[in-house]
Formats: sequence, C-alpha cells, structure tokens
Amino acid sequence: MNYLSSAFGGPWCVAVYTYREGIRRKLLIGFLILSLLVIFGSSFITSFVDPTAETDIDLKLIKDICVTAIAIFGALITVYISASVIPAEVETKVIYTVLSKPVSRVQYLLGKFLGIQLIIIVNLLLMGGLFFMALYIRQGIMPTLLLWSIFLTYFEFLIISAFTFAVSCAATSPLVPTLQGLFIYITANLTEYLKDVEHRAGQTGQFLDEAIGKIATALYSILPNLQNFSIKMQIVNGQPNDPPTDVMIPWLVLYSLVYAVAGFACAYLVFRRKEV
Amino acid sequence: MTTVIRTTALNKIYEGSLRSQDVHALKDLNLEIREGEIFGYLGPNGSGKTTTIKMLLGLLFPTSGKIEILGSEAIESAKIKRNIGYLPEGAYYPDFLRGEEILSYYGRLYGLRGAELNKRVDETLELVGMQHARKRFLRGYSKGMRQRIGLAQALISDPKILILDEPTTGLDPIARKDIRDLLVELRKRGITLLISSHELLEVELISDRVAILFEGVMQTLGTMDELLTQRELSMTVEHMTDEIAASLEEKGIVVEDRTGIRALLRLPQKLSTYDAIELCQARKLNLLSISPRRETLEELFVRIVGSASESREVAQ
Repeated sequence: MNYLSSAFGGPWCVAVYTYREGIRRKLLIGFLILSLLVIFGSSFITSFVDPTAETDIDLKLIKDICVTAIAIFGALITVYISASVIPAEVETKVIYTVLSKPVSRVQYLLGKFLGIQLIIIVNLLLMGGLFFMALYIRQGIMPTLLLWSIFLTYFEFLIISAFTFAVSCAATSPLVPTLQGLFIYITANLTEYLKDVEHRAGQTGQFLDEAIGKIATALYSILPNLQNFSIKMQIVNGQPNDPPTDVMIPWLVLYSLVYAVAGFACAYLVFRRKEV
Repeated sequence: MTTVIRTTALNKIYEGSLRSQDVHALKDLNLEIREGEIFGYLGPNGSGKTTTIKMLLGLLFPTSGKIEILGSEAIESAKIKRNIGYLPEGAYYPDFLRGEEILSYYGRLYGLRGAELNKRVDETLELVGMQHARKRFLRGYSKGMRQRIGLAQALISDPKILILDEPTTGLDPIARKDIRDLLVELRKRGITLLISSHELLEVELISDRVAILFEGVMQTLGTMDELLTQRELSMTVEHMTDEIAASLEEKGIVVEDRTGIRALLRLPQKLSTYDAIELCQARKLNLLSISPRRETLEELFVRIVGSASESREVAQ
C-alpha cells in the first residue's frame, strides 16, 4: 500500500493540479463555449430546412452538426492542452519546484499526461452531455449510441494527445507541438487513403510504382487510423438507441491504448535527459 | 563540521548549435558547503550560479565531475530530494489556489498525507508568518507574500538543505528584512542555506561563507573575516580646505566626501591611528571621528570580478 501510495500519489497529485490549472485556460474555455454554442445553436439551424424535405432531415442535420462540432472542437482542445502543458510549466518555472521534489521524471510525466486526459474527458462529457440532452428532448429516446460515440471519440483523442504530448516534451514553446498535433490529427484521419494507394500500386510493374505501394502498406501498418473510431454515419442515419455496428469496441480500446503507450514512451525518452 | 554539498571538478558545457559555439558555463568547480551554514553564492549574470544550482537539483546534467549531497552521489533519488528545499528565482504560483492549498500540493509531492500534512502546513505557515493569509487566493498576495509562500513550499518537508535563488530580489526593504530575519532563524534551526543573490548587502549581513564565481570559474571562497580583511581607517574632520585636501591626496589619502569644511577621509592601510592624529594636528584639522573600516562585500565583489575581467581581456 505504501509503495503504491509513493509511486502513484505524486503523479495523481500532479494530475489534479494540471487539471485545475488547465481547465482555467482562456483559450480552452473559448473552444468549449464555442462548441457548446454550435451544439445548442444546431436546433435553430433546422428552422431553415425546407418543410417539404425528408421528414427527419432536420434531426439528421442536428446530429451531423453536433458530431462534427464535438470532433473538431474536441480535437482542438486535445491538441492545445497536450501541446501546452509542459512548455507552459517550463516557462513559468513551476517545473523547477516540482522536479526538485521527490518526484521522478516518469512520475511527473505520468501526472501531466493524466491531468491532460482529465481535461479532455471533462470537455467531452460537457459537449456530449449537451448533445445527449438535445437529442433526448427532441426524440424522447435515450440516445445510447451517442454515449458509445463519445467513448470512442475519447480513445481517438487519446492517441492524438499522446503523440502531441511527446512532441511538446521536446519543444520550448507550444507552437510547434500544436502544429504537429494538428498534423497528426489530419494525417491519422486520412490513413484510410493509404489503403487505396496500396491497392492501386503495383499495376504497372514498374519499380517506383511497387515501391510506393510498399511504402503505403508500411505507413498504413504504422500510422493510427482514426476513421476506425468514427460511428458518425450510424448516429446520423440510425436509431439513437441502436448498439454500435461495424466497430469492435474492445479491439479499438486496445488499439488506442497501444498507441497511447507508444506516445507516452516517446515522451519519456525525450524528457528523461531533458535539461530544464 | 560535516559537508552536506560537495562538488568535485564539476564542468558544464552547453553544446552550441550550427550557428553558435559551445558555452563552457562551469569550469572545474570544487565546492564544499558545510552543515548549518549560510553560504552566499555570488557572481555576475551568466557566471554559472543558476547552472550550479540546477545541477545540484538534477534539473541539468553535469558534463563531467561529481556532485555529492548528504554524502550520496544519487542526487536524483527521492531519499536525497526529500532533504532539499528549493526556491527558484521568479517562480510562478497559480493565482487560483489559496496559500494553504499551494503548500498542501507541494507537501503531497513529498509524500506527506493527512494529519502529518496538515501539521506541516500549519507549522510552515507559522514559520513564514503567513497564517493570517492562508485562506486567501494568491491573486490577492503582494510580492513579498508570494515570496514567503515560495519559501514555505521549499520548507514544507522540513528539509536539511535550503537552496534559494535570488530570495530577496524585487522586494521592498521591509519585506527584505523580514526574509533575512527568517533565513537567520532557519540557520538557528540547523538548516544549511545556499543563497545565490545579487543583493550583496543582504548576503554580507547573514552569510557565514561566500564564494564568488566569474564566467564559470571560482574566483574566491572563504568566511567574511577571511575575505574582507582589508582594514583601512576612516575619519571625519573639520576645517578642510582645497590646499589641505590636495596635500592629503599626495599622501594617498582619499577624500571620499566633502561638504563645506567637513570631510570624510579614507586612509591607506599603512597609516596607523597615531599617524592619522598627527596628520590632523599638522594641518590644524579638527578630528571629529576615527574608525577602522573594513572592505564591504560589494567592494570585494567589484574588485574580484573587475580583476578577473581584466585578466580575461589581457589573455584575449
């Protein structure tokens, strides 16, 4: 018990501090308010829909806007907070007061990373909660599918967060890791296209053609595919209380955790001997 | 007396990039800080003070050399860190926390919990005189109060060694005196203090020993009595005239200050009190006061740094 307390007490303490400090950031609050406005405002947008159109087109529109808003603003919050926590702590010199205490570098990183996850989860719950209520009020059915979507979106963000965090450990300002994080988010959402490249390659028999195919295959195996986590189409078109189809949730959770551990390991490798 | 911090041939080279050269920030530093003393660590900006401190705390890594704290080379171990408190220069403490919450946070990082933590928070707030403001948010704190809370976070684990980087910079004279008194109180409690500062008067008033660093090289180290040995005579006289002043300056006597017929003179070391009295009698000066004058730490600092700077220029 004592060992657990000393090994995880420090990281948990750092995590709670990181959460309390991070949740007050103006930019993050701005993103959150904007996303809540979009989710809230989506109901009003439907009043512009042609009344002769498909019967549930307005509902589909709301769902589409809300799922997209959660994905975009959630990703922005994830990237921003993951990119800025460590550089901000170096800039304000708080890191000196923490690392000079009996807290190892891995414990410190773990604490920071957990704190970031708490911030992401709370923001997702706020955005998802509002969407959930909006749907429930409109349809009168528990939109359990949305809960699964929020759950999967978190694991999607976990991957982005881990790699952005790793980059931020090497950076002196949040700018580079923010750009890198956005790049990772966009790239990882386009991984599916590598499959197409792989399929189309090798048809001419030329060396370059085959090489491109092999590179695409290799990249597809290495890079995370965030499209795996999306059940947007089912949310928009399906019943709100349907179970998620076409996704293997335990497999996706494991998939996300593997990438998160890899990202965290990269962060530790960078930070282990970093001079602050 | 036990040595609590020892560095042996400590070197730090910051590797340059493609455009800049390597910087040898610390050169073969040998330092011994003894238990229970206040050690003043001085030097101009960029002399390597903060680099040394950061290496002692494991925030920077030595290029070569050895560091021992409390007899152990494992300076990054929790066992050693538990005995060190550190106040960095100009650190930020979050505004949204109350004084006692900040201390609880840092106390938890030391592994303190429950009643033990509460007791330490109470004791530390009492020690730094911040009990009255414990429930207030930091945004309502003055600069002096923030510095006290900074000191409190460094003291929360009841450390054996306290490392302070510019503890009184930017504070008003009353806050400075309060901090100074607190540091003396901490020494009485057996805590070893390493203070890096530009406030030379503060350091002179409380330090047992000082070291002066210039461009990463230790220039001098010793007790105040060892270092500030140049004793001169200082005297105040009346009936000073321009002719007398000129004749005194020929004998190497410095007229430091002159207001009307009254003047403050500084006599070279070779002149005794009798010589001074004879000088006054011969020139019909009215002697108001005479006292031995020791070189100040500031004068020593300027002399040593100036001389090291000149030597470097000659070498170049």
